[in-house]
Amino acid sequence: MGVSDWFKERLGLDDLPFFRTPDYMYNVNYWLGSLVAAAFIYTVVSGLILLLYYNAEAGYSSTEFIIQKVPYGSVILYSHLYGAYAMIILAYIHMFRNYFAGAYKKPRELLWIIGVIMLVLTLGTAFLGYSLIGDALATSAVDVGEGIISSVPGLSIFIPILFGNYDAGYYGRVLAWHIIFVALIGLLFIFHFFMAEHYGIMPSRKVKDRAPAVYAREEWQKFNPWWPRNFVYMMSLVFLTWGFILLIPNALAYLNGLPQQLNPFLNPQPAPPPNSPAAAHITTYPPWFFLFLYKIADFTNDVLIFLFIGVIIPLLYLILVPFIDRSPHLDLKKRRLFTAFGILMVTYLIQTTIFGDLTPGVEISIIQQIIVYLPPAVITLVGVFALPTGSNKKAIANPLGILAVLATSILFAGALITFVVSPSLLTITAFTVFALIFVLSIRNLSPIVLKSEGEHRDAKAVLEKPENRELKKKIAEILISILFILSVVLASQLWVIPSTGYLSNIFGIDLGSIFIMLGEAISLYHYVVYKR
Amino acid sequence: MIKFRLGNDEEMKILDYSDLVFFRKLTNKMRDPKTRFDVREFINRGEDYLFNYTNKNVGGVDERRRKFLKSLIFGMAAAAVVGIIPGVSVLVPPTVTVATGFPKSLLIDSSGNPVKASSLPVNSPYIMVFEYPMTGEPNFLINLGDSSGRPVEINPTKVVIPQTGKTYDFPGGVGPNKSIVAYSAICQHLGCTPPYIHFYPPNYVNSGQLTASEPDQLTAAALLAARQANVPALIHCDCHGSTYDPYHGASVLTGPTVRPLPAVILEWDSSTDYLYAIGSVGVAVYPNGSNGIPSQDPTEDLSSSFGTSVGEKITVSQTENPFSS
Ligand code: FES
Repeated sequence: MGVSDWFKERLGLDDLPFFRTPDYMYNVNYWLGSLVAAAFIYTVVSGLILLLYYNAEAGYSSTEFIIQKVPYGSVILYSHLYGAYAMIILAYIHMFRNYFAGAYKKPRELLWIIGVIMLVLTLGTAFLGYSLIGDALATSAVDVGEGIISSVPGLSIFIPILFGNYDAGYYGRVLAWHIIFVALIGLLFIFHFFMAEHYGIMPSRKVKDRAPAVYAREEWQKFNPWWPRNFVYMMSLVFLTWGFILLIPNALAYLNGLPQQLNPFLNPQPAPPPNSPAAAHITTYPPWFFLFLYKIADFTNDVLIFLFIGVIIPLLYLILVPFIDRSPHLDLKKRRLFTAFGILMVTYLIQTTIFGDLTPGVEISIIQQIIVYLPPAVITLVGVFALPTGSNKKAIANPLGILAVLATSILFAGALITFVVSPSLLTITAFTVFALIFVLSIRNLSPIVLKSEGEHRDAKAVLEKPENRELKKKIAEILISILFILSVVLASQLWVIPSTGYLSNIFGIDLGSIFIMLGEAISLYHYVVYKR
Repeated sequence: MIKFRLGNDEEMKILDYSDLVFFRKLTNKMRDPKTRFDVREFINRGEDYLFNYTNKNVGGVDERRRKFLKSLIFGMAAAAVVGIIPGVSVLVPPTVTVATGFPKSLLIDSSGNPVKASSLPVNSPYIMVFEYPMTGEPNFLINLGDSSGRPVEINPTKVVIPQTGKTYDFPGGVGPNKSIVAYSAICQHLGCTPPYIHFYPPNYVNSGQLTASEPDQLTAAALLAARQANVPALIHCDCHGSTYDPYHGASVLTGPTVRPLPAVILEWDSSTDYLYAIGSVGVAVYPNGSNGIPSQDPTEDLSSSFGTSVGEKITVSQTENPFSS
């Protein structure tokens, strides 16, 4: 009996109500949740290590202390930050993917709602965590947050509850809430996870195109058992996620002199403290994940309107969408309005974030708002309703397709705005070109854009030649061996990296690379062993 | 490997050992009641079923290959773990030095050599400053002399604290002439530090200094107090005019300060001519009474164990001469 079986028996893995997975679901598309969870776990663990050193009474100086004095402190701190970033980005991707897949429909409504609540908690946690740095950006972000809260009548009592005596440099409250929020996320995650296992991963639309899209228990009994294949597949994703979380910020730490616009996205180092002369020279930004809110605050002087546009309406919509969209159809073309809303939400989110980054705190007139936000709305609505109807299988059905339409929409909108603002021969040409691409992407390009989807379908009809697959597996095996050698080399190099100072971030880069290679190797192993 | 000979030296591979293992496993599984091979299903679904069945029960890849790959993966995981090991030092807190009493510290100059007591200039307008007991807490190191520049022996005295009326003992000077003293360079009025508070050698204690520009000005009250107390040199703070008597434990000559400067206890090693800082006396710089009033017992904060061992070295630096001429 192998080690694997030993674990299987001890842990009773076969008896757990874990979803058995059909072959086609071993695709990252169906596993986005595990990426979010991996980022979550990484961030929790690194956060607990930071908790050993962080002093809430001296936020900025203990941050500096962690970066400069604690062995590998900067590696942990930067990757903690980027773990949170990754979690936010992946949570958005996970959510929108499931939005477009219609995964919020029966019977997964509660799963969806818990997910939305977790997103809110995640953003809240991130904001609180960001405030803990105590640099000029954090304190100004807290000022803005406090300002928003206090200008809503009746809400100001929450400021001391939430922030304590933040302005006097006591971050104990913020730290406590930061951890409490994480605990809540963890609790909800347990529900979210077991519910997901209970309903099973949502089947492909080609298998079940109507809600409730679940495999009956008899059907799923035939699929691959959870252990060990799901575990193996999951581990590859987990290590890849961890690898990038470690690699990216530690590599970025060596990037200096970024233009200000890129700073909110790419700079893991804290800004100067708020009481230093250097603080006067930096433009204050909120954390990038709140740039969109920050921008919306420039649209109106009325905080209630701002809160409605920026927070309440989108949130209510997301929570209520399972009950608004009651049709059983999962096909995007059969719920065009919701498709349009989804695309618009993504477009507006990205657009407003970039807008906020380029013009932080600059007031925007109504006319400008219309110029920026009307074209995407018109384009998306027209585009979505111009999609070919009928049982045409080449519908936009995967995230890639959505993304393509999104990209062309944004380009098209940008070209339109440029043309309106400064009409010239050049801008009209650009506009025409992008308009053409846009129309094509909606009408005719869609089957090409969705090639991957097409391939996926054909794969069933024309089975890959066995010799071909054998060759691929051989290559995969060789790759694993190469990755093994590389990782051993890197691991030995890790021992000579100084634990503090300028070079210490190389540790994060190297360890991240090992994790990525390990994840890749496990993924190849999965391919060699399980793929037929 | 089982081989099969075909006539003219042609060998045909029939069965690998791993294939044999595979077949044995497959037949076992087929017989096992738990995973019995369903013949009827096989007839219905054909090789699809057989394929699925084998894959599920025996696995598609032969054992040896799988084992090899597995060991590579575990090897990589082990490499990752080995790589992380130095990272575990993140849990080891970096040492932060805290003083539980006053350390005994050797005074060294900026080039790293110990300060020699006998070569310390007398009445130098260059204020020798060293930080003790903690960084950021400057102290003067002065070799006191009379108005003609000869070292003066500084006797132990009782120092009065005007604020409370209490007294404490100042141990006097050290060095070959017992003329070397050290006082805190933080003005006890509102905390001004050099160059605002500084040492005025005898040639600067005259009426000419009354009109000098800041931070070299001397107040008339300070000048008068110096005459009355008959001291040739002063420690004077230009912020608000507090004046201290360096010959008598830096006691207060003129306000606004109501507390003398705490003194650093020095030790002179006559065999090496080295100087050590071993403690402080005076009113605690950080009062531990309420409302900023210093504790009633002037030695309360500054009396704990003097000079444990030579824990560190303290650099004495010369701040720039605050006098413009
Ligand atoms: S601080 Fe020295 S006299 Fe006021």
